[in-house]
Amino acid sequence: MTKCSKDALRCDNSCGGDNCVKQRTKCALLIKSAASTAGIGAVPASRTVSCWMRPEVWTGPASPPSPSSSLICRYQDPEPADLSMEEESDTRKINNSFLRDHNYATEADIISTVEFNSSGELLATGDKGGRVVVFQREQESKSQPQRRGEYNVYSTFQSHEPEFDYLKSLEIEEKINKIKWLPQQNAAYFLLSTNDKTVKLWKISERDKRPEGYNLKDEDGRIKDPSTITSLRVPVLQPMDLMVEATARRVFSNAHTYHINSISVNSDLQTFISTDDLRVNLWNLEITDRSFNIVDIKPANMEELTEVITSAEFHPQQCHTFAYSSSKGSIRLCDMRQAALCDKHCKYFEEPEDPSTRSFFSEIISSISDVKFSHNGRYLMTRDYLTVKVWDLQMENKPLETYQVHDYLRGKLCSLYENDCIFDKFECVWNGSDSVIMTGSYNNFFRMFDRNTKRDVTLEASRENSKPRAILKPRKVCVGGKRRKDEISVDSLDFSKKILHTTWHPHENIIAVAATNNLYIFQDKVN
Amino acid sequence: MLGCGVKRKWSCLEELEVEAEQDGDEGGEDELLVGPSRSEMSRLQQRQVVLGLCLEKLQRYQVGMELSLRRSVLLINTLRQIQEDMRSDGVGTCSPDVHPDSCILRDDFREDMPVTCPGCAEGDGDNLSLSPPASPESPSQEANSPPDQQKPLPAATVSAFSDAVNAMGYLSDFALDDIFEDIDTSMYETSDLTSAWASGSLWPVSVSLWADEDVKMRPPAHSSPGSLQSCLMDLNELDHIMEILVKS
Repeated sequence: MTKCSKDALRCDNSCGGDNCVKQRTKCALLIKSAASTAGIGAVPASRTVSCWMRPEVWTGPASPPSPSSSLICRYQDPEPADLSMEEESDTRKINNSFLRDHNYATEADIISTVEFNSSGELLATGDKGGRVVVFQREQESKSQPQRRGEYNVYSTFQSHEPEFDYLKSLEIEEKINKIKWLPQQNAAYFLLSTNDKTVKLWKISERDKRPEGYNLKDEDGRIKDPSTITSLRVPVLQPMDLMVEATARRVFSNAHTYHINSISVNSDLQTFISTDDLRVNLWNLEITDRSFNIVDIKPANMEELTEVITSAEFHPQQCHTFAYSSSKGSIRLCDMRQAALCDKHCKYFEEPEDPSTRSFFSEIISSISDVKFSHNGRYLMTRDYLTVKVWDLQMENKPLETYQVHDYLRGKLCSLYENDCIFDKFECVWNGSDSVIMTGSYNNFFRMFDRNTKRDVTLEASRENSKPRAILKPRKVCVGGKRRKDEISVDSLDFSKKILHTTWHPHENIIAVAATNNLYIFQDKVN
Repeated sequence: MLGCGVKRKWSCLEELEVEAEQDGDEGGEDELLVGPSRSEMSRLQQRQVVLGLCLEKLQRYQVGMELSLRRSVLLINTLRQIQEDMRSDGVGTCSPDVHPDSCILRDDFREDMPVTCPGCAEGDGDNLSLSPPASPESPSQEANSPPDQQKPLPAATVSAFSDAVNAMGYLSDFALDDIFEDIDTSMYETSDLTSAWASGSLWPVSVSLWADEDVKMRPPAHSSPGSLQSCLMDLNELDHIMEILVKS
């Protein structure tokens, strides 16, 4: 481990070290050296987000279907200098000389979750190495109105470390499974991040002043010899370079026997739920040594187990209502007021199986990988392997809308079963107005469906096809027969390039898409 | 599992799927044929492939890493579905019981030793307490044909399925090693297996797949007699299953 070489006052935590321990002399951030081939600067390449796109222009499906989407491709040099918080426009010039080569990307860099906060000002990403990188949108400057606020690295910290369960001789991965933001209540930002077993509450705060003029310590922190002190003075707060600190405020552990797959903050802002394969636990944000088990589907005899919980979420407005999805394609809505243990559901959503499409894989592809309430709280969206479904909370027997994400894979299920891709868990998101839904697919494709116009578009998040200010073309997969010029055939799809995690800005048309170890941010077209 | 399926040649599986798709359209024509139609054959072929994959995936485990419960449950359910499918294909034999993964307990197993001994498999059916109806006799003879012909025969594959389950039981039941000395199980008797067995997360099919983590030293569940009164075991079938499991 090497120490960040920056002065404590100058380090803005962007060197990607552990929780900043502010010291008077030197920044105490520890940088883990990684087997990186980049060898650029003091920061091993694997510690920073390798590539993130400057948001520029992109046309959502609401506009006439013209290929006028575009984005700016910008590769950030991982030198700390470029990530400084100084508002110099020059330092943010495009430095295209550094290109992360995918072949050498370390597995720890794979992004495992992305989430905008409730105002859209911050964007958090978690990766397989247990790190959280938070981006902040820069303030739009009046002098340069054409440059819409772009996202820059705000804070980086190591959220979870790998652990070893000695009782079972099993390793607990540090991969961040989910991040959920708490709504902002004061100057600091709070988020919950979780790995397979432990949820942590992180506080991200800024520090731009420091006390100076201590009597017993000199400017470097060394204790003064009391005999040399001749006068007393009152320490004063002096401005300093902005520093962003992340500290773990709560650790919620030892409540889950199985792997945590989701967390959800309640609208009361006091409680949250964490969900594993068989149980849902309710926590109070202030109390870490106790949690309430509100759902338990573990059978008395484990051999009778046929169904697991795959995701759970609180209703956005009703603090007593939550929903959880299962591996058999059903969703249960529960009311916490009815009983302490919510094993009895209020509502049960399941679509009867279509006998004509039945196969040996029917159950696996019906397993729901993500469930999301709409912002208005009237609908539920679920993602299974081939489709996205929108459910009306008042109608339990069938979904309101079904969208085919990549139905051309239906004939390839056997092969996808063999290479394990059939077990991939895709997420889905609503836009701010609940009019458009988005989800990922293979080959770095992601799909958007406009619920009103019933139009859909397939876009690709890849560097090869994205030059600076390039226009993002809608993509199409050719199913059979003649392949047109721009189409790609099903057999040419790259199944190692999957987009599992996406997030949508709560108010604007800005999306963040995680493609393996790269983060892409696209923005709607301005005028 | 990154890198899986990158530009992979799905040669044989693709053919199966293409066949299945094509036959879906031609189903009507095949009604005049005697015996299973093409679509039926490819469906059975696919079932065999999926069965093999299922067993392979369940068997494969990573020492030191916990199995995903969701994945295990989905695999087991698929396995059960295939078994149901096989059974509903008109097999009259005493099938393994409903929970293929709840079989094999040592005591019961020892009692039924003679039943499942490979040496007694052929021709000793009359002496067994179970009642092998006439139907498995002919399919088992057909199964003597080259195993790589891959003709899925309901009775044989049902027995093969239970054999797979029992085979896993053989290989880890150290007390019965002397009876099965002719079967080379040395590659299974590793410390990895022992620790995995202790942790309970190994067990794909027998006993309990997902260790009951709340109760540390939970004894394996008792099986019902029905599962152990398995059908006649054909030596070729055992070899075939061993091939799948050992991948030799």
